[in-house]
Amino acid sequence: MAKLRVNPNRMELLKLRRRRDVAKRGHKLLKDKFDELLKEFITRIGENRRLRAEVERELKAAYGLFAVARGEAGRASIDEALLAGAPGELLETAERNVMSVRVPEFTVGELPEPGGYSPASTPVVLDEALGALAAVTPRMLELAEREKALELLAAEIERTRRRVNALEYVLIPSIDETTRDIQMKLDEAERGNLTRLMKVKDMLAQQQEADEGR
Amino acid sequence: MAKVAIIGDSTSVAGFRPLGFAVFVVRDPDDARALWPRLTSGEYGTVFVTEPVYAAIEDLVAEVVDRPLPAVTVIPGAGSAGGVGEAKLARAIERALGTSMPIKEEED
Repeated sequence: MAKLRVNPNRMELLKLRRRRDVAKRGHKLLKDKFDELLKEFITRIGENRRLRAEVERELKAAYGLFAVARGEAGRASIDEALLAGAPGELLETAERNVMSVRVPEFTVGELPEPGGYSPASTPVVLDEALGALAAVTPRMLELAEREKALELLAAEIERTRRRVNALEYVLIPSIDETTRDIQMKLDEAERGNLTRLMKVKDMLAQQQEADEGR
Repeated sequence: MAKVAIIGDSTSVAGFRPLGFAVFVVRDPDDARALWPRLTSGEYGTVFVTEPVYAAIEDLVAEVVDRPLPAVTVIPGAGSAGGVGEAKLARAIERALGTSMPIKEEED
């Protein structure tokens, strides 16, 4: 593990110990956040999967009805009938905070009543097909909202995991190693000092003996 | 307030026009590329794409995946095989967990 480049002195040692405490606290917080995000994510997956299967099934059923309508009245007249209608503002969008992830929240406004075509020239099944689509639309929009939330959560989880891992496997070990290193250098200096003192003391004692003997 | 866009072949998406969707009909899935900047400009809260279109513009969709809006959702087109939406979800799961998760089928 890469050591940090710091001067091996007591000041740096204290600083590093403080940094380690902060990193440790940050790691715990992020780890908790990660666990919580994951829990939220996993519960959402199941719901989302059910909703998607439902929406896909109903959409396909509606496509079937349209196909029948096209078969009965001819493609051109159905396409013409479906030309009516203008894009409207169907959604009220807001943002919601889920575990500090901003996810969109849609409120579905009123869907326009399909119409504008002559019931005389179009088959009844077209009404049914449009009815089926209108019925599935609110759930399609709910699916869109949920899937977007899932994607955003996934991105946040990935980011958090990287941060947790960086702290756990890079920053904290390198701080640990550096503190150990500084501690050893300080100990070594301490021992050096001690032996020097002992040596000086010995030398003084010898000198004193020599003086007394003279 | 935001609009809802849907983009795909005419057989799949034409029926949404009377319901107030902004319908973009593309003959060739690749034509969606040219429409994309408009769809992601903020005018639309949700963009539904059919599976063939999604397959053609997957890279463009990936660019907006981290933005809150628009929510891009894959729907099956008329006559397409299905399963693309699931695959997109599986990718999000893989991103979150770092591994793909065996899909648990809940039958009830």
